[in-house]
Order: sequence, then structure tokens, then C-alpha cells
Amino acid sequence: MDLLQIDGVAAGYGNKAVLSDLTLALRPGEVLALLGHNGAGKTTALRTIAGLLPARRGTVTLAGTRVEAMSVAQRQALGLRLLPEGRGIFPDLSVAENLDVVAAANCRGAGDLFGMADVFGLFPVLQERRGVRAGSMSGGQQQMLALSLAILGTPRCLMMDEPSIGLAPNIVARIFELVRDLCVKHAMGVLLVEQNVAAAMKIADRIVIMNNGEIVFAGRPDEARAANVWHYF
Amino acid sequence: MLLLQLLVNGLVTGCALGVVAFSFSLVYSTTKIFHVAHAGVYTLAGYLAWSLARAGMPDIVGLIVVPVVCAGFGVVIQRLLYDPLAQRRATHLVVLIASLGLLAIVQNAIAVLWSPDILHFDSTWRVQTIKLVGVTLNYAQIATVVVSVALYGATLFATRHTGIGKRIRAVASNPFLAELTRLHPRRTYAMVMALASALVAVPGMLVGFDLGLQPYTGTTVLLTGTVAVIAGGVGSLTGAFLVSIVVTVLQNLSLLVMPGQWSVGITFLIFVAFMLVRPRGLFAAA
Repeated sequence: MDLLQIDGVAAGYGNKAVLSDLTLALRPGEVLALLGHNGAGKTTALRTIAGLLPARRGTVTLAGTRVEAMSVAQRQALGLRLLPEGRGIFPDLSVAENLDVVAAANCRGAGDLFGMADVFGLFPVLQERRGVRAGSMSGGQQQMLALSLAILGTPRCLMMDEPSIGLAPNIVARIFELVRDLCVKHAMGVLLVEQNVAAAMKIADRIVIMNNGEIVFAGRPDEARAANVWHYF
Repeated sequence: MLLLQLLVNGLVTGCALGVVAFSFSLVYSTTKIFHVAHAGVYTLAGYLAWSLARAGMPDIVGLIVVPVVCAGFGVVIQRLLYDPLAQRRATHLVVLIASLGLLAIVQNAIAVLWSPDILHFDSTWRVQTIKLVGVTLNYAQIATVVVSVALYGATLFATRHTGIGKRIRAVASNPFLAELTRLHPRRTYAMVMALASALVAVPGMLVGFDLGLQPYTGTTVLLTGTVAVIAGGVGSLTGAFLVSIVVTVLQNLSLLVMPGQWSVGITFLIFVAFMLVRPRGLFAAA
């Protein structure tokens, strides 16, 4: 069964319709990269799935539960998580406080996929820097913290909006590999929106390319390489 | 000796103002609302305490009950005024005007329901005094200093070390992420309004015990408080509290060299001087 199913979703801002009929499916343990140039509708799609923007039509289903009428918090509690672009941490709090406050709201104890100890296991540097003001860390460390905040508790589907922006290539490679491992190991679904096409192609099982709010290509990375899709970027 | 007395009087008023300032700062840094109606809560608290005292309750009852009532009033303001405005995507200016409007309503309602003239408490706080090295202090003044410093310490501790405090700071730091991580920003805003309204009720009553009550004095108090908030560095409770004391002490000392009607002018002179030296405020985060 599909983990996340988006069926005929329409969304937009004010009079401007960005998505008219988006249909996507994400399987457990799969990384799906959503690509396309600026304004293609990728971020709008993520915002609509997360509940930040209402779907004007269509359905969003997470593991069999219809969520399109739910609030952001309700969807988040079901395991639908969004790592937002560039704003994924609480910059004025220390690293430990960031994790504490999110764990308090999202961790239940023994049944969690990721507790505080698991996060420190994934990113030992966060434990070393636990007393440091989060906003003063390097971009890579901030993104590690942001990813930790997004997965604390029990995530089932992780959406990432441009996670590579402003990061050194080796850091991007490390974070993407880790996400790929977590995805497979825990049968999570990952929906990745990226400008960095090369990096996204490396970890994606499937690629969906959007243009003007519509899907213009869907297939495996090698099919995308073979097909002439480059004019969409 | 006059110098010392003015210094101590400034310290007392400064402590009370400090609580107004840091509680305002708590609301502003979390909700980004310039909550001028805070002055209305401050004023209302004094009148509620006065009525309870009139009804024969000891003052201590007012000191405990009124903050609870004001906390509820704060939640009502958030739920019935600020939340609906936020949902309709009102600009900061619109919210400010709404808050000003609420302040005017509260002040005028107080003038109608109680009295537009000054009201004094019958209690003995004001006439019981002690003398220390030539300085005379009444019980209301002593209570003001002790309670204000305690409230400041407790609030600082709570924001640093309790779950609710961390949540408040997280929402202030990144409300968008707070929504995504289920910290419930709107619930947190209501909590902050409750806390700040309960806090501001205390100096509202203590200053009333000492100097009596007037419906419209709260506006000047809040104006001076916001000066302290900005000069102290927006978001810094310590900055707001300490600068309140410094400004009020300097304001009082200015009485030595110029007439009292200049004191508001002096406040703003100090403000301008602060802003020229440290435009982001004394205790602003780097």
C-alpha cells in the first residue's frame, strides 16, 4: 500500500492557482525527488501536503488516513513531517533546548522511532555542542539539528524543502546518505524537493519533474537521464 | 539626605515599572504584538483590588485573587481580539490600533464604573513607615521592591529552566517551526498573555496602595516601560527590568536640578542617549 497518496489536489494563493490537479504516490522506504525550476509548484505541493496551505480540491492520504482536512499539528502527530527551507531550527535557543522542547511535544517514550539518544547517536556533534546557541552554529550543523527536530518521535513520511541550500557539497552528500539509510531502515517515505538535481538524483528511487504546477515527467533517475528532461530546469 | 531619598524613591518606582516593562517585553517578543492594552490590565488590577478592599477583604486577598482574574482577562484579549485579527492577517499597525482602542475602552469603563478622580486605599500600608539611615519608606514601597525583584527572578528562572518557558522562547524564536513541531503557537500566545497579565497586575496594585488610583496614569507608565524595553534590548527581560530602574532613578534625581513636569522629557532624553550609544539596546543578543 502507498504510504502517502495525493490525489487530484488543487491549491494556490488568493486568485492564483498554483496546483490544479496534482497526483502523487509515495511508497514506504522510498525516496521520491520532486524537481523543477523556481515557481514550478514544488514548495506549494509540500505546503499543501503539510497542511500549511488548504487543498481546494482532492485528497491527501497518509497510511490509509485521509488528512486533507486536518490541521498541521494533527498531520504532524500522525507522522507527516516537514523540514522547512532555511528555517528549521529555533536560533535563539541552545541545541539542547531545541531538542528538549520538540521532544517534549513529540516523544512518548519507549515506542518512539527517534528519541533524544537516537538523535545524538546519528549526530554526535549535536551532543558536543548541546550548550551552544543554535543560531551560532555552522550551516551544516544547523541542518543536522533541523533534521533531528523533524524526525523526533515517530515520523512516517519526511518532506524536505531544499535541504541542500547553502551547504558544502560533502555535507549535503553526508546528510542525504543518512536520510536514505533512515528511510530504508525504518520504512519511512521521503519526499525531497531540491534545486540541486545532481545530489537529489543520487539518493532518489524515483523522480518527478514539475512545470507550471503540473507533472511533466515521472520515472527512475536513469530514465530521467536518458529522456530529454533538462529543458525543464 | 534629599538625594538619598530621591534615589530610593526612584528605585521603588523603578522596580514596579520594571515588572510592567518585562511583562510587556514577554508579550512583545513572543507574539510580536505591541500590546498597549497592557496598561489597561495594569490599571484595572488596582481598581479590582480597591473594590475587594472596600468589600472588607484584607489586601492580601486582592494580591492573590486579582492576578488570577487579570490572567483570565489576558486570555480573553488574546482569544477575542488578537487571535481573530491574526486569522484575518491584520498588519501590525491594525493590531496596534485595536490594542489602543481596547486601552481607551478599559480606561473609560474604569472612570465610569469607579471614578474619574483619584481613589485611595484605606489600608495602613501607606502610613506605616520605617526609617533607615535617614530614608523613610512605607510598607507599600518595601513590598513593591521585594515582590518586584522576586517576580523578576521567578520569571527569568521559568523562561530558562521550565518546559513552558522553553516553549515560549521557542515560539518567540521561530513561530513557523513551532507550528510544524506541534508546539501550538496560538495556545502558547494565550499562555504568555495570561502570565504577563497576572504579572502586570501586581505593580498595578502595589503602586495603587502607595499612591492611589487614577484611570489614565497607566498610559504614561507603559510608555516609560516600552522605552525601557527598547533601550534594554528587545527580548531581554533583564534589560527591561534594569533599564526601568535606571531610567526611574535618573528621572527622580533630575528633580534636584529641575522641576517635576520635565520628568517625561528626561525619560526620552535618556532614551535618545541610550539609542545613540547602543542602538540595538543594552542587553540585545549578539
